[in-house]
Amino acid sequence: MSATLEKGINALKRQIDSSVAAFFSSCVHCGLCAEACLFYTETGDPKRTPINKTEPLRRIWKSEYTLFGRVGKMLGLTKKVDDKFLEEWQELVYDSCTLCGRCSMVCPVGNDIALMIRKTREGMAAAGQAPEGLIGATNRSVTIGSPMGVKWQALRAQIGHVEEDSGLKIPVDVEDVEYMLLLSSMEIMNFPEFIEAVAKIFDKAGVTWTISSEAFEATNSGIQIGVSDIAAELVQRIVDVADKLRVKTVISPECGHAYMAIRWDGPNLVGKPFNFKVRHILEVMDDLRQQGRLKTATKESQKLTYHDPCQISRRGGVIDEPRRLIDMISDDFVEMPDGGKMNWCCGAGGGVSANERADEIRLKVFERKKAQLEEVKPDAIISACSNCRIHLEDGLEEHNMDIPLLSLTESIAEHLAED
Amino acid sequence: MTDINNEAHFKRELESLDDLQQRRVAALFVNHVLSLGGDKRLERVVKTASDEDATSEELAAALKLAHAVTFDSHARCGAEGHWDDQAGYFVARAAVAAVTSPGHSRAGGSAWQAAMSARMAYTSMLIDDDTDQHSAHTECEWQYQCLSDYLNA
Amino acid sequence: MTEIELLSWARGPGLQIATVIFVAGVVIRIFEIFMLGRKANLAEAKGSEMSSGLKTMITRTIPDRTTFKRSSVTIVSGYIFHISLFIVCFLSAPHILFLKDVIGFGWPSLPTAMIDAFAVVTIIALLATLVNRLTNKVMRYLTNFEDLLTWFITFLPVVTGYIAFHRIGMTAPTLLAVHILSVELLLVIFPFTKLMHAFTLFIARWYNGAISGYRGVAS
Repeated sequence: MSATLEKGINALKRQIDSSVAAFFSSCVHCGLCAEACLFYTETGDPKRTPINKTEPLRRIWKSEYTLFGRVGKMLGLTKKVDDKFLEEWQELVYDSCTLCGRCSMVCPVGNDIALMIRKTREGMAAAGQAPEGLIGATNRSVTIGSPMGVKWQALRAQIGHVEEDSGLKIPVDVEDVEYMLLLSSMEIMNFPEFIEAVAKIFDKAGVTWTISSEAFEATNSGIQIGVSDIAAELVQRIVDVADKLRVKTVISPECGHAYMAIRWDGPNLVGKPFNFKVRHILEVMDDLRQQGRLKTATKESQKLTYHDPCQISRRGGVIDEPRRLIDMISDDFVEMPDGGKMNWCCGAGGGVSANERADEIRLKVFERKKAQLEEVKPDAIISACSNCRIHLEDGLEEHNMDIPLLSLTESIAEHLAED
Repeated sequence: MTDINNEAHFKRELESLDDLQQRRVAALFVNHVLSLGGDKRLERVVKTASDEDATSEELAAALKLAHAVTFDSHARCGAEGHWDDQAGYFVARAAVAAVTSPGHSRAGGSAWQAAMSARMAYTSMLIDDDTDQHSAHTECEWQYQCLSDYLNA
Repeated sequence: MTEIELLSWARGPGLQIATVIFVAGVVIRIFEIFMLGRKANLAEAKGSEMSSGLKTMITRTIPDRTTFKRSSVTIVSGYIFHISLFIVCFLSAPHILFLKDVIGFGWPSLPTAMIDAFAVVTIIALLATLVNRLTNKVMRYLTNFEDLLTWFITFLPVVTGYIAFHRIGMTAPTLLAVHILSVELLLVIFPFTKLMHAFTLFIARWYNGAISGYRGVAS
């Protein structure tokens, strides 16, 4: 066995706990998970059945953690995990899965298949079987601090523009404030107006906040590639700075996987609870709304629908907050079919959009979202994840559908009451 | 004689322009940074934006074209970001702003939005540039002068 | 061996051996799961793990509308088979009498004619699930030897029970012996297969509900 294959197998072993064992013990090969997964429904290829993607992890569980399996291994009867097999599975584990978790919601025996796939990635990555694009993004995250190579000077420049445009000062490295805002590289590069929207909302609400020049990146490539050590290091940078500045709450921006990484995985990755809270920008705005500190004056005139970013809604728990916020700025809102916790994934998260090899399938699976939109026929789509936004725009353009994508945060800011 | 030399004045003058004027001024701003992008399609967009007789169909087609350029030029999530390529993205966004109909423009109006995106395009070029040849302020100043000239004409 | 000797063995030592293997096997499999443990969640909770886990153990029985529409054959045939099998196993008079011997108490049974009808329903449903498994694109891809084996060892007791009851083909003692032996086959193989889901699905569902519930999502 090569050194990396051995590392891969050991990584898979470390991922197996009682929940994984219960899951594999219970799978009856019913196939319901396939019909919940847009990578199967839009391609019709049964190898993309979610539980099938976990096969590397299953083989290790069987042969290492079940009596029958261990006996079988001794007799040479078990299915092997070797480089060739893992290479074949790369496309299933990375290109054909966004960790959206719809499969986990429908499995009749209760398997959290998305979690199992996430765990499978740990073994794949350690065995050297992660896609090139993700490896690059992860390296840049570790060495530069951002998967897209965005340095502080770049953010500083964007902040300069935002200050110019809004007339507001963006606080940097301020101590003892209520909130520290993280940003994803996607927002910094493609949607810097998000920063302006937050600044306006916080200014009106009288919130004290800051951005840190040392740790501003929200995106966690370690989670997407499946290397917990790297994911932990990226989280630790944020923890160190948040502790240093003594902030009360760290805000995760409009990026789905960033929220999962810092809110739910974070403390478990670094091994201890945080000294601060973590909230999504949507939760923060909803809080302000409840306290009467967020007031809007105008409304959107177009018919709106909401795309639930999977890691924020179904996997993150922030489902009602965006709807209450949309209520403030819209009288013409319609839910997509399956809207809410069962909404369909956009198809680009979890590292899929960072992987050029997956471009074709990513555009193909967009057809699921297209079908939802064709039923609802909205004038515009509101969402809260910049990756969903870009990918949906791509898909809509490809299919000649003229439906603009709006950011919920930016929309709220646009309709703020003057006073 | 109007002489603009600060941001507040610049913004006020832009907002007081009518829809057609906004579009034509926006086109001037975009035109100035076209070379920072590279996409030839934007030249057609600018041409339509500057044309005072452009029909709503032509503007709609120009908007679609400008959008297409933004989709082709934005930074991919997780890919290595190149700020000089990103300049092209912001030029495209400025073009989108220029041909966006007044009702759908973001705050400040289409000319202001075009001005901001044009400046971001310029700044993007500077981000990875280690020399101190240019400063972001020059684009600003050029825009002030451009608007002053337009108003005085 | 005479047919009486066969029946005596099946009812006696055969059953004892099968039961011991079954119970030991199930216990070992469940122990294997729990001994792995699971780390405590250090993130700030938004909801309760325990109550959400318990809820999901039950609510996961009901598929959501879209899933039902997409997989109605699998779901309906699966439920009919499970429910009618349960009725035949646990609500038929001879079975209740047998269990009363083993565990000390019994319960009311359903009329024989009804049990007979449910046995036919079970057989048809099982055949339907097999056909589904072999024709549905996804299931065909996933299906392996174990899936077919478990189907067979589940089918056999139902069919042999029906035949034994209606005294078709062979003498009563032999038919009964065959039926009991088929149940023993099922018991012995059960712990080594996915049939364990009968027990472990409650554990899996709890974990699923707990994980989601912690994040404030009802699953």
